[in-house]
Amino acid sequence: MTERIGMTSRPNRTPPRRVPARHSLRLTALLGIAALALAGCGSAAGPATGQNPVAGEPVEGGTLVYAEVTPINNWQTQAARFYEKSNVLNSVLDRLTYFDAGTSELVPWIASEFSSSDDATEFTFTIRPGVTFSDGSPLDAEAVKLNFDALGLGIEAAQIQPNVDFAGYEKAEVIGEDQVRVTLTSPNANFLRATSSVTAGLVSPATLKLDAAGQSAIAEISGSGPFTFESEQPDEEVVLAKRPDYAWAPESAENQGDPYLDKVVIKYLPEVAHRAGAIQSGQVDLARGLQPLDEGTIAASGNQVLPAQGVDLTVNMAAVRIGSGKLDDVNVRRALQIGIDRQSLKETVLSDSYDLAASVLNRQAPGFTDLSAELEYQPDKARQLLDDAGWTVGADGIREKDGVALEVTVTSSNNSVVIKPAFELIEQQWREIGVKLINRAGDNTFLATAMPDPSVEFFGTRQFIYGGLGPIFEPANNTMTHTSDDELNEIFAAERAATPGPERDELLAAEQHALVVDKAYSLVLWDEVQVYGAHRDTRVEFTSGTAPVFQGAWKTGG
Amino acid sequence: MARYLAHRVGQAILVVWLAYTLVFLAVQLLPSDPVTIFLTADSAVDQAAIDTMKSQYGYDQPLLVQYLNQLVGVLSGNFGYSLASGQSVLDRISGVAGSTVALAGSAFIVAGLMAVIVVAAATLTRSAILRRVLVNLPPLLAAVPVFWLGLVLLDLLSIRWGVMSLFPDGSVLSLAIPVLVLAAVVSAPLAQVLLKSMNQVYDQPFIDVLRAKGASRSWIFFRHALKNAAGPALTVMGITVGTLFAGSVITETVFARSGLGSVVLTAVTTQDVPLVQGLVLLTASVFVVVNLVVDLLYPLLDPRILKSNGQGAPRALTA
Repeated sequence: MTERIGMTSRPNRTPPRRVPARHSLRLTALLGIAALALAGCGSAAGPATGQNPVAGEPVEGGTLVYAEVTPINNWQTQAARFYEKSNVLNSVLDRLTYFDAGTSELVPWIASEFSSSDDATEFTFTIRPGVTFSDGSPLDAEAVKLNFDALGLGIEAAQIQPNVDFAGYEKAEVIGEDQVRVTLTSPNANFLRATSSVTAGLVSPATLKLDAAGQSAIAEISGSGPFTFESEQPDEEVVLAKRPDYAWAPESAENQGDPYLDKVVIKYLPEVAHRAGAIQSGQVDLARGLQPLDEGTIAASGNQVLPAQGVDLTVNMAAVRIGSGKLDDVNVRRALQIGIDRQSLKETVLSDSYDLAASVLNRQAPGFTDLSAELEYQPDKARQLLDDAGWTVGADGIREKDGVALEVTVTSSNNSVVIKPAFELIEQQWREIGVKLINRAGDNTFLATAMPDPSVEFFGTRQFIYGGLGPIFEPANNTMTHTSDDELNEIFAAERAATPGPERDELLAAEQHALVVDKAYSLVLWDEVQVYGAHRDTRVEFTSGTAPVFQGAWKTGG
Repeated sequence: MARYLAHRVGQAILVVWLAYTLVFLAVQLLPSDPVTIFLTADSAVDQAAIDTMKSQYGYDQPLLVQYLNQLVGVLSGNFGYSLASGQSVLDRISGVAGSTVALAGSAFIVAGLMAVIVVAAATLTRSAILRRVLVNLPPLLAAVPVFWLGLVLLDLLSIRWGVMSLFPDGSVLSLAIPVLVLAAVVSAPLAQVLLKSMNQVYDQPFIDVLRAKGASRSWIFFRHALKNAAGPALTVMGITVGTLFAGSVITETVFARSGLGSVVLTAVTTQDVPLVQGLVLLTASVFVVVNLVVDLLYPLLDPRILKSNGQGAPRALTA
């Protein structure tokens, strides 16, 4: 081309200007947007209906499609402290004991009998005969001992930490043919309950010998549960197939044999807006994490809203950290506790599936004590308490003391569909009493730095408490309060050493009273519940840890 | 040509190394070390457990030793281990990379085609209204968030009309729809730039000469104008690799697809720093390589680049 083409050719000696760091910043920003989108924002209460009566004659066969929230890659069983993991592993791993939420009692499972010494330092388990792992090896006393060692001591070669609920573990010994005796260095009355947790799921000795990556891979994990791994598509689905020879369900289970379902397919719906539609269009049979907004839609379409009570967990709460100094006066914390209008929380952002908290323990938890009288909404009293504590209302309506504004921050993960809108409402309620809440709930990037930071005043959360309340509030570096309170720790220690009965119940009540009222380290919100949506043909019940029990589930359509 | 090539490749390697070093330094700016951050996601963690894991992953070493060890590791293909799964970072990434390559690669090509089609149609149409609509299409698409477009399409196609699955089931639609969503967003800036430089090319006298010689409209467009206008669009195409990656994260989440996007998301939310480091290095490398390819394509479009002292590529062929 010989004509002038009118393009200036500019030799450019500067190095490329597009530095990847800029790109990664943009990526972070976009991630933030994605996280916000995922956090969802259900803001209206919907009517909840349709308790699921597992009635009628079970139908054999079929595949149940279950939608979890986000895919996970580390299936290591001792670290199954997330619903995504425990909900699936619950059907792959058996435990020594099972907590029957109906009777609030531990019932035999793989341990046909279990007992505790009076001082709660020695525990004896009799292992049920005839149980095998899916790799063919026997689940006998020796295998149970190896599992206890892994739980109590960790597995250094595979970088697996000891299970926090098994603190004080000394040793396990095989006695006779079929018994295992565990010895602890200090009393722990919660020990038996801890053996019912999915994190204490029994795996085959071969699994325990795998390296870190091996024990993280669900394909490699061999349990004795009613379902076994069949195939997976990383980050997209896991397929479990039933064990036809399964015959060792918990004593309280209605189905004592193999599962009715042939297969369970676990898929992932990170997008909250799709969960209701997925059920209505019949693409999934069961989905976790239904937002209150969708409950009415699901019920109206003839499908089911199934709230699974989290008896094994604390209530949802704002755990208080006093590192910033603004909340080290207990009266300020009490003012915030009674400055929350829980009823309006339920009416505005929750639904009928949610029960308001009356303690730090769920209503159905053993030892629950009803503190609802102490949790009534009393804004005037809250103002008085704050006035008396020296926090006076400043020009902008926010209280101040010595030039410091009563401005507090909350952090939480984005895993709960209701936690962010809940704190939005609390933000308004506290504004009425002159407290400014900076709501960073649902911001996972902030959570990373806020979790270990004692000066971030609130951590919105709920925790599994198989080992009791002690392990989550006791250590000096606990992320709930970042405080080690000697008086509180004395009660925890006494509770662990007490034999089950009225004396221990009193100590449990004292723990709850201290956490909620006397010290107000836990601003309690609502009982933990996971709201599932289920197709009208699905029949399923849930464990006390909110996991679906696929062993007893069936589909009416087959 | 050899000198130009060596120069460009050298620059690319330098950029990747700088990016890696920057990420390493950024990790040091975190309030704590990666292991402590990762483990404190649990409610109460034992200090002894943190210390053991720190020494296992080498985070208890002096900074320079850590840096050199990691650098040597990377050079020998060892990108460390994911804290979350214990899997090697390389295994974790390569396990799902194929899915992202399929999505992002197709979207990249489709985006290029979409941009050319929109610009060709806008330039060649005789209808003023259609031209106006087409000209305004790219700014509209640039303004639409990827996740919104994906959600709306899924709601319509899967939930309301039932023509596709909410999950990737291997069907044509389950790949085509995410590709289109991602391509639509990526094509917008391409089309905008291409349209602008096309207008400038059409203002040039040589177009008049071609017309005077009797060349047809489409002959002028495809044979002469496109090649001259392609330079800036090609540059933008190199830059959109970033948008493509960010868009993949969101598209994969919305469409529940496996891939690097979901790995990025989980790595960031679980604070799996070694995995994030590996991902940033990978992203930076892809970015640099794509732009290297763009640089190497320039001489094919405009041979004068090789004659300009063999140094530097004229990025803006039109002002």
